[in-house]
Parts: sequence; C-alpha cells; structure tokens
Amino acid sequence: MNKQLTFLMCSPRGDKSASHSIGSYLVSLFEEKEIIVKTFGVYKTLKNQEKTEEMIKSIDDSDIVLISSPLYIDQAPYMTIKLMDIISEVFQQGKLSNKTRHLFAISNAGFLEYYHNSLVLKIYEQFAKKNDLIWAGGLPIGAAGTYATYPIPEFLKMMEQLPEDDYRQEIYNKPTKILDSVIRSSVKHLSKGEIVPKDDLQKLEFIPMPLESYVKGANSTWPEAAKQFGAEDKLRDKPYER
Amino acid sequence: MSYVILNGMYKDDSFIPEVNQIVSEEFQQMNYKGATLILHDKEIKPCLGCFKCWVQTPGICIIDDYGREVAKKMIQSDILVYLTPITYGGYSAELKKAVDRSLGLISPFFRVYENEIHHEMRYDKYPHLVVIGTLDEPNTEQEEIFETLVKRNVLNLFCEKYSTLVIYRGDDEDAIKMKIKSGLAEIGVKR
Repeated sequence: MNKQLTFLMCSPRGDKSASHSIGSYLVSLFEEKEIIVKTFGVYKTLKNQEKTEEMIKSIDDSDIVLISSPLYIDQAPYMTIKLMDIISEVFQQGKLSNKTRHLFAISNAGFLEYYHNSLVLKIYEQFAKKNDLIWAGGLPIGAAGTYATYPIPEFLKMMEQLPEDDYRQEIYNKPTKILDSVIRSSVKHLSKGEIVPKDDLQKLEFIPMPLESYVKGANSTWPEAAKQFGAEDKLRDKPYER
Repeated sequence: MSYVILNGMYKDDSFIPEVNQIVSEEFQQMNYKGATLILHDKEIKPCLGCFKCWVQTPGICIIDDYGREVAKKMIQSDILVYLTPITYGGYSAELKKAVDRSLGLISPFFRVYENEIHHEMRYDKYPHLVVIGTLDEPNTEQEEIFETLVKRNVLNLFCEKYSTLVIYRGDDEDAIKMKIKSGLAEIGVKR
C-alpha cells in the first residue's frame, strides 16, 4: 500500500511564495517515489470548517506531515501556530488513530543566514513531541526569496548556462546544488520511513557570501519596489513617532 | 512613563488574567500609565506577508483594523509587555497575530549588527520589553527555546533593556509577585 503525505503550505502569499515553491519541489520528488500527496494551503483551509476536517482526516491517514512556512519575526507566522494548535487539539482529544507519523519542516527566511530559522525548527520539534509525531528534522533556508521567483530545478538549469568562472557559481549555484542534494536525501529517507540524518541537514549550515554583499544587494531593491507606489522617498518615514 | 500589555491568552485561560492583574497593579503603584490589550477580543487580521507596510505605506500596515492600533501603541509605549502561554516553546497564536502585524515598526533596510544580518531601526527609540510566559509545570526545553526567542526578538526589535519571566500555574500569588517585581526591576522599573 502506498504511503501518504500531507503537505501543509503555510504562507499567506500562496503560490507566489518560497514556502510553496520549495515545498512543492519536495512534493514532486515524493510523488516520483509513488507517495500519495494531499496538499492544503493553510490560510484558505482554516477559514473553512469542512476543509479543516478534510485536512485532519488527511493527517490521520498520513505517514508523513510536511510543514513549509516562512519565518516572521523569529517565529512561524500566526496562522502556522494556529494550525499547530488545531492539530494538537485533535491529538490531545485522542481523535487520531494510533499510527507512526513523521513530521518534517521547511522554514525559510529573507535573511541570508540559515540559522535565523534554527529556533522555529526547535519549536516544530516540541510540537511533534507533544503530539506523538516523530520529529524527522527540518530545512533551515536563508535568502529564500530567490526560490519564490525561480523554483529550484529551474534555477539550477539557469545556473548551468553560466561560465565556470562566473562569480555567481559560488554564491548562487553551489549553495542551491547543496540544498538540492539535502532535499533529495531528505525525501529518500522520509520515503523509507526514516528520520533525516543530522549530518545531512547540517550540510545547509553555511553562509554563501559575505554579509555586507547581501545587505548591499537586498537594500538596493527597496526603493525600486516602493517606486511603483510613489513611496520611494517615504521608506524611512516614522508615522507613529511620539 | 507608559506601558502596554499585549495579552496573548486563549479565551478559556483562567490563570493568565490573574498574572495580568498583578502586572497591572505593579505598574499602577508606580504611577505608570497604560493599558492591557486582550488580543483575542480584538479584530486583528493575519499579516499578508505583502511588505506593503514597507514599500507602499511605509510604517503603516495596509490592513485597516485593530492591528494598526496595536502597532502604534507598541512603539509609543516606554515598556512593552508580552503575556503569553508558552506554546511549544514560543508565543501563542493570539500574541503572534498582533506581533506579525507590527512589522512596519522596523525598516525594510538590512544592516549587519553583531555579525548577523538584521533590519535597520525605523524609530529612534523603542520600548523596553518584558516577556512573561506561563507553563503548566517546569519544562527545561521549552523554557530554553522561549528565552532564546526573546533574545532574538530583542535583536530585531532594538529593545535597550529586556527581561524574560516564566510563571508556572502552580506558583502561588507571592511567588508570582516576586517574579514580576524582579522582571520589572531588571529593566529599571522599581519602587
């Protein structure tokens, strides 16, 4: 009998988000391994009682639960915490069948450094512990905005076109290749009912470029983004100053 | 001096109102002016992750509901108190709903601070932060996560002084008062 996975996509930005893009990539790899996947966009699902019950039923039937969520101010967003509360409630009420289920999580942030996500992965681990889910590990992903625009396979194809000595090989291609290999290894282990070895996950613990370079590049995007709203000169406004 | 308490309790919690009362009385006895916001009573929609509080209406969330008022009260207070049941080591959903909506209080621009990337300040002055978490009983793992979370928040929200308190449901009133007085003293609030 085929294994089942419930994918809980926890970004309010829907399919424009890195949470969707990265999570969907894992889903495609799980499907290649003939795992049945049921996907729930959490922001829409939790607004609807019937959909929420469908999600709980899917979790009940699943061998793997996959959470993909952005990082908002050092933690998961409100709706991800609410989701955990709802799942905890049904677990605590003994409404779910007795079954081995693994929890795997993806946390992504706009900061360059992976470790801004480390704490939220510990929070997911506590959530798993409370609810008899087996904590299988998580992916802490920094500078994730790139993958919202370019899904990982597409991004790697683009990078293939670059000359070998291009500077972007080191700061974009190499990190994405490492991420891709960790994702593939995670899917392989989870598909076999195993937790993902810490050694594999630790391969993501690196900073791909100097912090100052990232800051310079990222900061140049804000005035451009504000321009379409005529707000480029107001970016440093203090509307609530006393 | 002013304070605001963001009370992130869930509706059926009977313990947190007691803690809230004790904190409020401490502030009142020192002639601080302020208020408690019971967040589950307020209409606060979830953050959309749209960054329009950074690029369209800088500093103000585009959602026109009580979330805006909470952010304004946060930045205009001298002391900001988060009161929350510790939830898997983190904040409750009710508290987080309001905190998410305060993103506009910081600048979109990044900077390197203490060898890490953080955002720049939008305002010249930010409140001191007191974070009070409640637990049914001691839980070392969750308490460590909670304390680290507060430290991370302080880095990102530019609080000059802060304290973290964990109060257990089994604590009696005297123990709770002592913890609160000690937490407030850490940020310089004392009689």
